[in-house]
Amino acid sequence: MKFTPRPLSENVNVSKTHPLAELAWMLGGLALILLVFYLLVGQAVEVVAERLPAGAERWLGRQALKNFAVAENPELDRRLQTLLAALPVDSPLRRRDFQVWVAATDEINAVALPGECIVVFRGLLEAVASENELDMVLAHELGHFAHRDQLKGLGRGLVATFLTMTLFGNDSSAAGLVASLTLSFDARYSQRQEAAADAWGLDLLVARYGHAGGAVDFFARLSRRDDAPRLAYLRASHPHPEDRIRNLERRIAERQYRFETVVPLDSTRLLAEPPRP
Amino acid sequence: MLRVLAQNADLVIFLFLTGLGYTAGSIAERRHYRSISRREAELLHLPVVTFKNPYPEESVRSGVMMMGSVVISIDYFKRLLAILRNIFGGRVTSYETLVDRARREAVLRLKEAARQKGCDMVVNLRLETSTIGQSANSRNSVGCVEVLAYGTAIALRRL
Repeated sequence: MKFTPRPLSENVNVSKTHPLAELAWMLGGLALILLVFYLLVGQAVEVVAERLPAGAERWLGRQALKNFAVAENPELDRRLQTLLAALPVDSPLRRRDFQVWVAATDEINAVALPGECIVVFRGLLEAVASENELDMVLAHELGHFAHRDQLKGLGRGLVATFLTMTLFGNDSSAAGLVASLTLSFDARYSQRQEAAADAWGLDLLVARYGHAGGAVDFFARLSRRDDAPRLAYLRASHPHPEDRIRNLERRIAERQYRFETVVPLDSTRLLAEPPRP
Repeated sequence: MLRVLAQNADLVIFLFLTGLGYTAGSIAERRHYRSISRREAELLHLPVVTFKNPYPEESVRSGVMMMGSVVISIDYFKRLLAILRNIFGGRVTSYETLVDRARREAVLRLKEAARQKGCDMVVNLRLETSTIGQSANSRNSVGCVEVLAYGTAIALRRL
């Protein structure tokens, strides 16, 4: 037999699919699966959050509180009680025993934790200028409790983390990709929650003082201080301060709330007690 | 804008490496395939076969073991595709070109070495592969594949 070498015209060992097409298919599929799973579990979390027993919620709150170096603040507690007194008599929040803590952090923020804890960061106390502003912040956090956001947010965060960890393990670059995908779903959700808490807080502020003075001052100051571009707020948990101001002003106009002079705040009294380490 | 980039540095680096992997990887692959086709055509008349020496002993002038080996690296883009494949299952097509290039390049190098030695053909061809960079799918490490082609290059006695 004579050997006749022939060149191969076709390569059977390499698939013809274009790599970019493959990437698009797989990323699309992944996003879809995550979206469906996230929505389903998100729904489940809402159901659980509505029905979680108070004891379990307090336990969760104590665990969450361990992350902050907090000190009690009787002055803030008194303010919160005054705010609660302005709530309608049948409000379920009246039956709960809230406590305000001050965390020794310069960050301008406050968080609602499960249980009945509100943690106000020291940086925020230094940044507020009037009693009305401070009460607006507290009322906003109470709004989260009214909507049970403290549990829903925690639940969704846990699910998102669990999801990425199970799928990809702790350190793979795909985990980062998926985390940012879920984060953007989550950001949309949490920005809606914040807007709802703002609206709820505004109503409570008006119930407490009889006018909406101080409702937007704080966000206006934040907005001037904040030079981050709007794009950064796509993935942020909170809406852009300017959007918050716009939403609040719309509600103020709709409900015809009045503006009156605000009560200046003596923040030295608030910050007098050094926070416990 | 810069601040957004800085805040998402990990994502930016990831996208950059993936993009770089795609462009550089595609260019390198196309060039490599061109070179492979050209050299395969050149060396077409030097047969490489997998069976053992079919010739009677007196007609073989010399027989010597020859090796051709090559290491080819994956890029971030191929790795991303493979990681996504890990989730869905199926053919990891992004690695197909990689091992195909490695196999053909290794055989080509074997043939070139045989031709330099003045041999007429390579019999008893065997291929071995191994990975270099053990945890090819873990962060910050990109794996490579090595293909080693070896066989017996024989020179025939002209009668």
